[in-house]
Amino acid sequence: MDRYELRRLDYSLSEDHLDLQSAYKQFFKTHCPIETVRAAEPSGFDKNLWERLCAMGATTMALPESCGGDGATLVDLTLVAEEIGRSLAPVPWIDHICAARLLASLGALGDETASETASVADGEQLAAFDARIDSAQGARLIPTGSIADHIIVRDGDQIVRLTFGTRPAKVDNIGRLPMAWVDPGAADARTVVAQGCDALAKYQRALDEWRLLTAAALVGLVEETMTIAAEFAKNRYTLGVPISTLQGISHPLANMAITVQGGRNLTRRAAWFLDNEPDVRPELAPSAFVFMAEEAAKAATMAVHIQGGLGVSAEAAASAYLVRARGWPLAGGDPGTSAKRVAEIVAARESSPQVAQV
Amino acid sequence: MDFSRVELSDDDEAFRDEARNFLKAQVTEEVGRRDRETGDNFDEGVHLAFGAAGYLALEWKSESDGGFSRVRRRIWEQEKRRAHVPWVTWGTTAMVARSVAKFGSAELQNEVLPRVFSGEVRLCLGYTEPEGGSDIATCKTRAVRDGGSWLINGSKMFTTGAHNCQYVFLITNTAPDSPKHKSLTMFLVPLNSPGIEIQGLRTVDGDRTNIVYYSDVRVDDKYRLGEVNAGWTVLREPLNTEHGAVAAAADGLQDTSIMMHQAGSMATAVDKAVARVTQPDPSGRRLLDDQSVAYRLGRSFARMEAALSAPSIYGRVAIAQTMRDISPDLMDILGAASALPFGTDGAADDGGAEHVYRFAPLVGIYGGTLEVFRNMIGQYTLGLGKPNYSAPVKKVS
Repeated sequence: MDRYELRRLDYSLSEDHLDLQSAYKQFFKTHCPIETVRAAEPSGFDKNLWERLCAMGATTMALPESCGGDGATLVDLTLVAEEIGRSLAPVPWIDHICAARLLASLGALGDETASETASVADGEQLAAFDARIDSAQGARLIPTGSIADHIIVRDGDQIVRLTFGTRPAKVDNIGRLPMAWVDPGAADARTVVAQGCDALAKYQRALDEWRLLTAAALVGLVEETMTIAAEFAKNRYTLGVPISTLQGISHPLANMAITVQGGRNLTRRAAWFLDNEPDVRPELAPSAFVFMAEEAAKAATMAVHIQGGLGVSAEAAASAYLVRARGWPLAGGDPGTSAKRVAEIVAARESSPQVAQV
Repeated sequence: MDFSRVELSDDDEAFRDEARNFLKAQVTEEVGRRDRETGDNFDEGVHLAFGAAGYLALEWKSESDGGFSRVRRRIWEQEKRRAHVPWVTWGTTAMVARSVAKFGSAELQNEVLPRVFSGEVRLCLGYTEPEGGSDIATCKTRAVRDGGSWLINGSKMFTTGAHNCQYVFLITNTAPDSPKHKSLTMFLVPLNSPGIEIQGLRTVDGDRTNIVYYSDVRVDDKYRLGEVNAGWTVLREPLNTEHGAVAAAADGLQDTSIMMHQAGSMATAVDKAVARVTQPDPSGRRLLDDQSVAYRLGRSFARMEAALSAPSIYGRVAIAQTMRDISPDLMDILGAASALPFGTDGAADDGGAEHVYRFAPLVGIYGGTLEVFRNMIGQYTLGLGKPNYSAPVKKVS
């Protein structure tokens, strides 16, 4: 790779980006306080919040204009994802839009040939997909499997849409997700939506988008749990001084701020490349995910630690962030698989004969 | 948001080609060999050639003052890195020259600046003291007025490049009984003054820096920069520059954070490791076929890209920390031959990763330690308050 290539390094957000960001920040602040997050824990899903979110256009924005969507960029979507992470919103937005975008790219979203998925675009019906990179056999955990109307999985070189007469049962999980064991063999209907190399490549793209948006959500998650811990530390005294003035507390908080800044910019840069030059830096989306998956757990644990006995309480906001920091990225399987994917992409690029070393 | 290739006009493209050819001709293998041997990170021949070709003035001056346009500045910066131009002494020179232009008398500016642009004059930093560390306000080097001149006594550590420079930008204490921020006076001390002794010090990464001793060094008052006891005013700007607390550029034609030279050595090492793991051995097996190699390489790559993305002072901490974090893994995956340094027969990656490992401790102390910058992030961006330290103890000597 030519590290000296003359490219712009402009991470700034446009006015439109800022408007979008503030609209969603405000939405979740108003409609998704921590009590709402807690109340949704038994099912992992707040239907009322989801309907409000869909009414705001959060699902249709993510779809191409050819499918009646607004054709938002992935950069736009990372801004929404970050607010979902910040508020721990119990909505399956990331999984749903990744699955819906996949169906759209396969021409299987709500046209004459696929009328069954007509209500997916606006979120009235929910789409889920198997977020693992390494394709599973038999029953597997689907992050939003217990609430989905359509579940997309790979089977060999086929992309298959499954429906169940009775939705698979939700299983308790650390990410407080509406997760379920899904056995494709037990589905009531199985529709092959696409087949072949091109279809599998599109599935891979959906996996990359899921990782990108999950990384963005983890950025918001880390920033919020850091902010809560910092506020606590400013007001908690030991031997007459705020504990925030002790380097044993302030330096880990500074490290979280660095994680947020680096992870956020990497996520946005990865999104920009997928939007504009998808073949140039495809490793950046899984890179952002690998980085944030590792750092989110460390940061969320430290944020709990800073708040001591109050942080570990099951009622503390910090503990709500702690469990999701681990459970959300893990829903896509071992994050180490994404690290291996990063290595494979960059190694393939280095050994490709087209690499022009100027 | 924009990460696109910069579209160049025909003129700018011609400039890039000319700069690239010029740099290629100047920075020969011999320059590289000498640089590794001396650890100077400076080459006088190259530097004088830059001066003669007008590049030093173009780089230093603002566009309105006849310097590079934004895009040419960025081209020049990137092409210098591509050519591996030794960079450290021009960096300090350019920075100190700004203070001379701002605080020096007309006479001093005339003495120094034209020769800075020709390359004949280089400037270094006399900040840190043997007992001072990162807190440069605890300055023991004394300057005492003596008629129209000053007598300077003391010593400074890490005056990198002093043996290739003509002046040192020196922090002195002129009011030992005043509060520390009102006790400092800055001088631009000619390094050929009697009483100055420069002692070389090699560092673990292979670079050379210096300890400089000042014994009854007489300096004319014209070499003073700024008011007496107002050294802090003079220092604030260069310190801010060195700290890297710089706003992002709207046109994206700027590094995301400071320390990008250092980060470049990490990126080079990672890219070399990537290239190495794809090479098949005689039986056709590649290191990458080992899943634990693929995992560690991918994780290292990801962490590096995150560090390269972090802006401002977050970025400088992220870069230094990530160099420390990933270089051991990069060495491990390349095996025992990663222990062999540059130029050694059979070195796995031409000493890339092992150099990052030795370089990383220095990157975490340049212009302030990682702790200084974590303090700054905590205090100024998270609002955590000024760090608390235990009460001072009387030093027992």
